[in-house]
Amino acid sequence: MTKIQKRRLSAGLTAIFLLALIMGPGPGNGLVRSPSGEGPAQLLGVPLLYAWTVFWFLVMASVVVTAAAYLWSDQDPPRK
Amino acid sequence: MSDELGTVAYVVLGLYLVLLLGLGFLGHLRGKATEEDFYLAGRGQGLWVTALTIMATYFSGFAMLTFPGWIYQWGIAPMLLALNLPVAGAAIFVIGNRVRKIGAARGFVTPADMVADYFGGSNPLRWLVAVVGMFYVIPYVIIQIKAGGHLAEGLFTGVDSIRLLGFELSIYDAGATALSVVTMIYVLVGGMRSVAWTDVIQGLLLLSAMVLSGYAVVTVMGGPAGFWQQVTTLPTDLLEVPEVPGRFNAWWMLGYCAFASLASIIHPGQWMRFYAARDARTLKQSAVVFATALPICTLFGVLLVGLGGRVLYPIDAGGNLPSILGSADQIAVVVIREHFPILFGMVGVWLVALILVAVMAAAMSSADSNLHALSAVITRDVYDRIAPGSSEKRKAWVGRIVIVVATLGALGISYWGDRNPDLGLLRTIGQFFLLAMAFSVQMLPLTVDILFLRRGTSTGAFCGLAAGLFTVFWFTPFPALILGTPAFEWTATVRAVADVGMVAVLVNTAVYATVSCFTRRSGSTKAEEYQRLLQD
Repeated sequence: MTKIQKRRLSAGLTAIFLLALIMGPGPGNGLVRSPSGEGPAQLLGVPLLYAWTVFWFLVMASVVVTAAAYLWSDQDPPRK
Repeated sequence: MSDELGTVAYVVLGLYLVLLLGLGFLGHLRGKATEEDFYLAGRGQGLWVTALTIMATYFSGFAMLTFPGWIYQWGIAPMLLALNLPVAGAAIFVIGNRVRKIGAARGFVTPADMVADYFGGSNPLRWLVAVVGMFYVIPYVIIQIKAGGHLAEGLFTGVDSIRLLGFELSIYDAGATALSVVTMIYVLVGGMRSVAWTDVIQGLLLLSAMVLSGYAVVTVMGGPAGFWQQVTTLPTDLLEVPEVPGRFNAWWMLGYCAFASLASIIHPGQWMRFYAARDARTLKQSAVVFATALPICTLFGVLLVGLGGRVLYPIDAGGNLPSILGSADQIAVVVIREHFPILFGMVGVWLVALILVAVMAAAMSSADSNLHALSAVITRDVYDRIAPGSSEKRKAWVGRIVIVVATLGALGISYWGDRNPDLGLLRTIGQFFLLAMAFSVQMLPLTVDILFLRRGTSTGAFCGLAAGLFTVFWFTPFPALILGTPAFEWTATVRAVADVGMVAVLVNTAVYATVSCFTRRSGSTKAEEYQRLLQD
């Protein structure tokens, strides 16, 4: 992977990670609030907020795994 | 049930404590009599030890007690806080590996070693960094010891007191004493090597307990379909995130996930684990394990106990807890204690004892890391400045004396505070404990600057850190005690929408940047040297 490709991947992963923070624990979770008066929103019988939490965890975990695989160098300079 | 558990609990707890002491002495036999070995295990820790010791240090009794208790009481919303784990996981490599590289090249032991070195040997800054570390570490040790007492009460239900060496000890006192004395011994004899090895056992126990407790509650409620069917009958407000200023609103949780996670990664105990890691690969793999496996054990394990517990043990319309629960924090313990023996028979009784011991392990693994870190901070950052040129042997003794004094002091405070609740000592320490992460995260701006930007000055770093600490201090009980409550009502408003640590970090960063703009750097040599060290 070239330096430019790495830089682009790094920027992309950072943006996705920040988006996941905003959409997961942040104000983005307001999108899964049900209209007042109705029961809690569900997805396949599971509360939508739980499914939402799991989804954004998977996004964040995928970002970390991708960064570890392609960006994080584990080469150490030789010890003196 | 209590009697059955009582016998098994004695056996499991006894074996566990003996195993810890054994690992402590083994660590001593494998160690060398040098400061670097005592505090950093020769900087040679491999993947599993590093991953599990970082994890065990990160998770205190909070993971099995407070977190499920929050979900039991407030519904699904606090589950989103589990998303702080991938943030912390990423930081283990992004921050931790840079800390490790510089530490290995320059022989650092404490966070202040690096900060002081980078800023030209500034002693005031070193001491301020040491104070930040102590603000985090001291309340943590006291609260974990206190948790040991309460866990013993949960483990030995029906036993009020025991006689030990002619003294009558309440079960709370016995638990707190056992936790602190055993922890003190293995930290004392084996240093980082023993702490990390015991953390491996404690971390594995804790992860198993998290997964098993989730499995148990889902099984008790009829499998996944039955579990979710019953959970979706809970009131709507328990299944959604409350709006501002409700507790666990989205803005507060965002601040918590972004900043409290980093606070728990850059405190002295974790910082020293980065120094102790063998190489970059170790930290990279530890980061991946942390960011993936831990949230899985949390989201699909112990947090389900909070939700299922709310169905099994409903809170009445007046907000009163069922009589079986002394506090919401006990929900995981109660679910495990009441349902495991029914599900698994005699094996379940052993599992209950093992899991309750695992909860104690979580408290011990945080207490040991923080005691060990406190010893390093006081020896390196305080004693070494007062008595420069002391021999390694002398410093090792000072470090050990610190461990003994800190353990006995914390144990004394725990006894005294428990016997004199009117004084509110433990309540005050508890409030400090809640702000421990807010204090710790004040290291973030200068850490980011040293590792990535290298633009700030020593004066800027000192002023920023002092401003951050001062800001957090306004959220402790003391200003209101001194100046009167009405003047501090605004702190409650701020707290409702923003994490205190985040607010203080913003102040800290602003002051750091501004002062750095108007003060001179002592020279660019250090910045260039650090840049060279960090180049891949």
